[in-house]
Amino acid sequence: MTTDELSTTFAALADPTRRAILARLSQGEATVNELAEPFPITLQAVSKHVKVLERAGLIARGRSAQMRPSRLQGTQLKHAAEWLAEYREFWDDRFDRLDDHLRDIQRGPST
Amino acid sequence: MSEAATAREITITRVFDAPRELVWQAWTDPEHLARWWGPAGRTTPADSVTVDLRPGGTFRLSSIGDERGDDMVTLGTFREVVEPERLVVEEAAEDSWHDGAVSEVTLVELEDGRTEMRFRATIHTSDEMIGIAETGITSAFDRLGEVVAR
Repeated sequence: MTTDELSTTFAALADPTRRAILARLSQGEATVNELAEPFPITLQAVSKHVKVLERAGLIARGRSAQMRPSRLQGTQLKHAAEWLAEYREFWDDRFDRLDDHLRDIQRGPST
Repeated sequence: MSEAATAREITITRVFDAPRELVWQAWTDPEHLARWWGPAGRTTPADSVTVDLRPGGTFRLSSIGDERGDDMVTLGTFREVVEPERLVVEEAAEDSWHDGAVSEVTLVELEDGRTEMRFRATIHTSDEMIGIAETGITSAFDRLGEVVAR
């Protein structure tokens, strides 16, 4: 996961309504109608939140054209929970490339 | 920085088979940075890199997604510049998941001609965000473990 993806995930998690939607989905998949029930907001607003969560990779939606039930995707949440380790890995990968780069430029004619 | 902010830190030490002068160049020269900055799946055009190498000077770099073509910008300000041994960059907090991150790079010449790089990143982020990320998720969603395991 890049820090870019971390940004998207955290931005999605930062909203209390979206966290409540995730909490509801942790009990099983649900349609937008079902998700909207406990909230004093429009179906359209809930639908927007669902799209944000979907883009962040936190949920996936079924194929069925009419219902399209949503369900949790655990992997991305796990990444967010381990964000510090993810951040370290991000820099470790970067330094692997720095190591390769330093080798490359010393091997061939200098560029 | 708000009061409810916590700093987290990572440190990484690497030894490179290269003279210190060259490692310094790799960190400060746009042509070099473009070739290793990444991350994987992204390309940094050398002409997108701006390095105003002085305390208070800015650092800017674009990482273009190979598939989507989206531009991920890294924007920072140099806090310390001591050629060729120490560099401190503060990353801007705007449009980011953290409230500011400071990266410190220290380069030490080893006797055998190699270079030891000591890297320390301090990430400031709100306690709320850490709560959401580390404990909020698991405590709020009792059945998450089950879901993840599925």
